[in-house]
Amino acid sequence: MATPAAERSDLMSELGLDHQNKGTIGRLLASGKVGQADEGADGVMKATVRIPPDELTWEPAVLVLPHGGRLELELINDDLNTHCALLPSNGDSQFIWLVNHSRGTATLELDGPGYYWYGSPTGNDEGRGLTGAIVVRGDAPPEARLDRPQQPRP
Amino acid sequence: MTDTAEPYVDAGHAVDQVSLTFVAGSAPPVAESVTYERILNARDEPHNWLTYYGAYDGQRYSPLDQINTENVKRIKPEWAFQCGSAGLQAGATTYAFEAAPIVVDGVMFVTGWDGWAWALDAATGQELWRYKHAIPFDVSLCCGNVNRGMAVAKGKVYYVTQNAHVVALDATTGKCVWDKTYGDVRAGESATVAPLIIKDKVIVGSSGGEFGVRGHLDAFNLETGEHLWRCYTVPKPGEPGSDTWPADGEAWARGGANCWLTGTYDPELNLLYWGTGNPAPDFDGEVRPGDNLFTDSVVAIDPDVGQIRWHYQYNPHDVWDYDSIAEHILFELDGRKVMAHFDKNGYAFILDRTNGELVRVFPFVDRITWGEITPDGKVTAKVYPDKEGEPVHFWPGPAGAKEWTHAAYSQRTGLLYVPVQDVGATATRRRREFKEGIPYWGAGVQVDGDDMAGSVSAFDPATGREVWRWRTDVPMCASVLVTAGDLVFAGEPSGDFNALDARTGEHLWRFQCGSGHHSSPSSYSVGGRQYIAVPSGWGGWVEGFVPGMLGAPHGAALFAFALPE
Repeated sequence: MATPAAERSDLMSELGLDHQNKGTIGRLLASGKVGQADEGADGVMKATVRIPPDELTWEPAVLVLPHGGRLELELINDDLNTHCALLPSNGDSQFIWLVNHSRGTATLELDGPGYYWYGSPTGNDEGRGLTGAIVVRGDAPPEARLDRPQQPRP
Repeated sequence: MTDTAEPYVDAGHAVDQVSLTFVAGSAPPVAESVTYERILNARDEPHNWLTYYGAYDGQRYSPLDQINTENVKRIKPEWAFQCGSAGLQAGATTYAFEAAPIVVDGVMFVTGWDGWAWALDAATGQELWRYKHAIPFDVSLCCGNVNRGMAVAKGKVYYVTQNAHVVALDATTGKCVWDKTYGDVRAGESATVAPLIIKDKVIVGSSGGEFGVRGHLDAFNLETGEHLWRCYTVPKPGEPGSDTWPADGEAWARGGANCWLTGTYDPELNLLYWGTGNPAPDFDGEVRPGDNLFTDSVVAIDPDVGQIRWHYQYNPHDVWDYDSIAEHILFELDGRKVMAHFDKNGYAFILDRTNGELVRVFPFVDRITWGEITPDGKVTAKVYPDKEGEPVHFWPGPAGAKEWTHAAYSQRTGLLYVPVQDVGATATRRRREFKEGIPYWGAGVQVDGDDMAGSVSAFDPATGREVWRWRTDVPMCASVLVTAGDLVFAGEPSGDFNALDARTGEHLWRFQCGSGHHSSPSSYSVGGRQYIAVPSGWGGWVEGFVPGMLGAPHGAALFAFALPE
């Protein structure tokens, strides 16, 4: 029987889908926290994502940007294992090794609106939950939009 | 945040993924001298493939003849380039390798799925540089995470991204020079077209016809990216053609007519010939009575100002999804400037390209049941989804008797060569309310998974006669290439890449590429050695053109074939 959306997080927890090696082998993607980037006066956005101990997740699992542009990302590995990150960015994906107890940075250029998945492409981290989302809000620039009356949305 | 006192190990700053490869990082500056004038005379340098169709005329004809009917059976793969996918990407199951490789003086420029663009050494396949635009996972793509290729001019290469940007890259380094958004992803727009360089402009068309958008062509300044003009292909109320849409309501605002395939160009007439896509909703014509201009048409456009000079409509009031985006191949017939267009509806049209006058129309596929077009061009619809909930079967199906993949014209034989799809479909009208960003078909559609056929067929445009047919069990859905060696190259969904005698259709050579073909081969030479290059990578809107091969393997390889040295 399908579960109404309002009960999702309770049932996810009850079934152990937001934990490692509980409901299933790895935690369900995007079952973790949601966070928002800060925007500076220059329009550059800043955020930190962290790998907490023994959770095989990014924290936040879903990072939200107010619009497309440059993101200065701090990555912290507080886990007791080595990970890495392969992040989307216009031009080329960005890669960084994150040994145990390390801190690094990445500069990303992303379009909006739309969302992107990124992961730790080592040791099956991605499948176990170390796949996160960067969500970019906003709209296409006015010059790109269609010359037509406003249309109904879902 | 951890509370340990031990300082963090410095992981440094993230690096470009390409730094973890042996990619050279730069290409020879071959594109610096590519000008509009050179592209105008593209066939004077047969060792290059300077523009999407080989030349502005859309003929997909190579003057090279080192590989010919006598020796083609000896050609072998000289190199293969591959690029798999990494991580979760948009259209993870529907990506395909659909490009037409461009070659300039030994450097190949080619695009892939998911925002990929590469420069390769055309003699060895070595990757010289790469550029990858980050494509959002949730971008609306009706027909796969795909891209059909680049344009090159004045030191830069140009391509579009699936999230409706047009990007100019330094052709030597692959670094971005400018990046402009030209579509609205929230409206369901996207982009897959190979751009076209005309004078000082790069011209691109929009995608999104399955989402009830309003189609348009855009021109940008080559150097600066300044937006020069936009030409909408559905008129607003009061504009020419608007009387073919309901006077009340917003059908025009969701009219479609997207230009998602590259146009052709006559420099003497200074006219672009661009095919337009289906109206929306694709199958529910009752909500948009009228001929619905300029959907399913060729529009002849003045590239200097982006205005429609004339049009010819192939499918007035289309209710079968018969986009007329297919290329318009320019050639002369008995001294007359004409163009050939193989429409999804199963008919081939020869038009006078000075004024759009119909010269000849003839069927090019065996089964046509949607309706009939008489020799004088009168269109009569016979079978179409009309009553709510009532299934209707018709041929050709919505992928058409020829999908977007291209035909070719040989300057030696005077014949047109076309990849044919003979497969039907059932559509059941299911009226739905319009909501921006949600697919807007107006029907439930299922394409036949069996009872299908295909061919590469040769037609004489002077008479409409089918001169020869090379039959296949499965619809042909890759572009054909014809050469001065009197060869027609054609890839199959099975992965076989074939060479046929252009004069007789005799099968001369085959190579199994490992994944189906849904791309456009090209030909070039380096150091006096001719190559045939073809991307092989099945995917895209397979459920539309060959659902019987939905389980066929994906791929992401580009092969270059040559005679042994």
